[in-house]
Amino acid sequence: MNVTRRTVLKTLAATGAAGAAAGVAGRAEASHEAATLVPDAMGLLYDSTLCIGCQTCTVACQRANGMPVDKSLVTINGAPFDFPSDTNGYNKTVIKLFQSGDRHAFMKMQCMQCVDPACTKACMLGSLHKVENGIVAWDPIRCTGCRYCQISCAFNVPKFQWNEAIPRIVKCELCRSRVDGGKGSACAEVCPRGAVIAGKTTDLLATARRRIAENPAKYYGEKDEHGKVVPKIYGEHDGGGTQTLYLAPADVSFEDLGLPKLGHEPPAQMAMNVQHTLYKGFIAPIALYIAAAWAIVRNLRKEAAAERAHREEGRHS
Amino acid sequence: MSAEARPVGGRILTPFFYVLTLLAAIMATLVLYRIFTGVGSITALTDGYSWGIWKPINVVTFTGIGAGAYAVGLLTYILNEGKFHPLVRPAVLVGALGYTLGGTSVIVDLGRWWGSVFLGFPPWYNASSILLEVALCVITYMAVLWVEVLPAGLERMLKDGSPKWKAFAERWLPRVRRVLPFIIALAMLLPTMHQSSLGGLYMMAPTKEHALWFTGWLPFLFLVSCLTMGYGSVVAMDVLLGVVFRGRYRSHMKLLGDLAKVSAWTTLFYVAFRLAALAWEGKLGEAFHLPGPAPFFWLEIALFLVSGLMYLSPAVRRNRGRLFLAGFVGILAGALYRIDTYLIAYDPGPGWHYFPSLGEILVTLGLASVGIAVFVVVVKTLPILALGTGRDAPFDASRPTR
Repeated sequence: MNVTRRTVLKTLAATGAAGAAAGVAGRAEASHEAATLVPDAMGLLYDSTLCIGCQTCTVACQRANGMPVDKSLVTINGAPFDFPSDTNGYNKTVIKLFQSGDRHAFMKMQCMQCVDPACTKACMLGSLHKVENGIVAWDPIRCTGCRYCQISCAFNVPKFQWNEAIPRIVKCELCRSRVDGGKGSACAEVCPRGAVIAGKTTDLLATARRRIAENPAKYYGEKDEHGKVVPKIYGEHDGGGTQTLYLAPADVSFEDLGLPKLGHEPPAQMAMNVQHTLYKGFIAPIALYIAAAWAIVRNLRKEAAAERAHREEGRHS
Repeated sequence: MSAEARPVGGRILTPFFYVLTLLAAIMATLVLYRIFTGVGSITALTDGYSWGIWKPINVVTFTGIGAGAYAVGLLTYILNEGKFHPLVRPAVLVGALGYTLGGTSVIVDLGRWWGSVFLGFPPWYNASSILLEVALCVITYMAVLWVEVLPAGLERMLKDGSPKWKAFAERWLPRVRRVLPFIIALAMLLPTMHQSSLGGLYMMAPTKEHALWFTGWLPFLFLVSCLTMGYGSVVAMDVLLGVVFRGRYRSHMKLLGDLAKVSAWTTLFYVAFRLAALAWEGKLGEAFHLPGPAPFFWLEIALFLVSGLMYLSPAVRRNRGRLFLAGFVGILAGALYRIDTYLIAYDPGPGWHYFPSLGEILVTLGLASVGIAVFVVVVKTLPILALGTGRDAPFDASRPTR
């Protein structure tokens, strides 16, 4: 057995050991507890069956948040038209239309205010963080503009101002800056049909359940384990729960509306399990450092001794 | 004292150097323009694809190539294969450059780059952020690598400097040498952390990442493939240097052959592990689900296999051209795995598209040019390359190059 084969075996053994450690991490269940709904959590309830797509909410949102008129996206007969096709660096909420055959429904896009958001986990310096009422807020001072929040958000909510020298991350914060003035979410205030209402998430859930109870056939449902179709409130459990909730018409699924199919766990849960196991108390990295330093010092000493012996040999001969 | 590492010498302002300078100047102009007009002005990035080629190429591939310092360091210092010493210094220099360029690219890519000063303010650290861990690790490792390069500069001072510089080097060289083992230990720990986390970043996007790439093993697969990239870069570079500096530098064919064997088994282990993990997770069927990104998966596997199997052949290990190819394919394999994970396998949803803009490509080329230019200048002027131990020179284990 030559030296290199031994080296190969040693390398593989070391790699295997590291792999085993990572594997343990991968299987580590609930090493990181998912957050739960805070009692005073606030959100929106959007009922797609009531929305007429007037986009008053979009305009009210822009005004309430001091956003400029967005002329960049839609032109009709060559003239700019202030109806953005998606949320972007200047629009925190828009209405989209889903259409397939004779099925159609409107969809309001804005931040979901996740109970256990991925963006606040991704954010390096805690720029995106939870504030009062469980609202996810953005702090400009702590933001480096890395945009990892955009990668990690399953709903593609955070938007970035791509053509600004001093760009911002833009997302719905439930008009929390208006609360001091005694006002609430602008979109809910102006909605002529009550398609979007604002309030405590627990109250919104109750409202959604009441609407479903009054007219179960009107709302979209999914089969439970017994094969029975049960009306569904999106966000009640999806992705660990969201403070903003959705109801869809019976013939249009939430996926049709552009909402991702998520389990009951927060999307970042697996990543957090792995990360918090590997780096728990920073013990593994410190142990690895001590082991490495010990091996290096020992090996260098051996080498120096060999060099000395060699030199002395040279002197004697 | 370094017995074999010596400056290669030779003219610095070659036509090739001017071409590199031009590419670097174009990059600098674009970066300056971007500072005043925003990230979107020179990139094709969107709110769907908010990270483009700068991340998987400039950061993850550049540092993957730079991982030669880590990969060879592991063998030399931890597994006590002292014979690889002659390959360490150039690998460390490539590492220092790769990481510095990767870091520079991140700063250019950061929308609010001035905010990164707060990376030095621990009270704001978010312990859950995988990206924060990567950022802090990479910044620290960058410093570590340059400290490892330091002795080369001090040795040159000692040899050719004015009396004042000589005195300075005499004072500092032993001090640097004394702390070096503890710096090297950091140089072993930090890449283990951040090279794995560079893969771990995409564990945060389970709904967007294709099943063939999304797994809890992402950190481990990135770690192993950074080793194969590192070995590939050391092998390919040493052969290349022997060609470029013909007559002055001879490739360490015997050492590279040994390194190739290590790399072969690491590469084949990676392939076996990747396939086994997919089978274990019951996702192997996805690989036959066309169309979609599956062909890229097979291309990756093919590149890894070609590189690994080539390394195994004694005929390849003896032939400079073929050995270079094996190393180069090894780099390509790792690079494709990174690009696939970050872009090809990443799907933010319907309606989003990305293809790199000319600006992005020119910045990438410019950064690579800076790296190559600085590398060439440094090996010509500082004792980096082991000129006396190449090719058929008998290896003398008792006289390390350090």
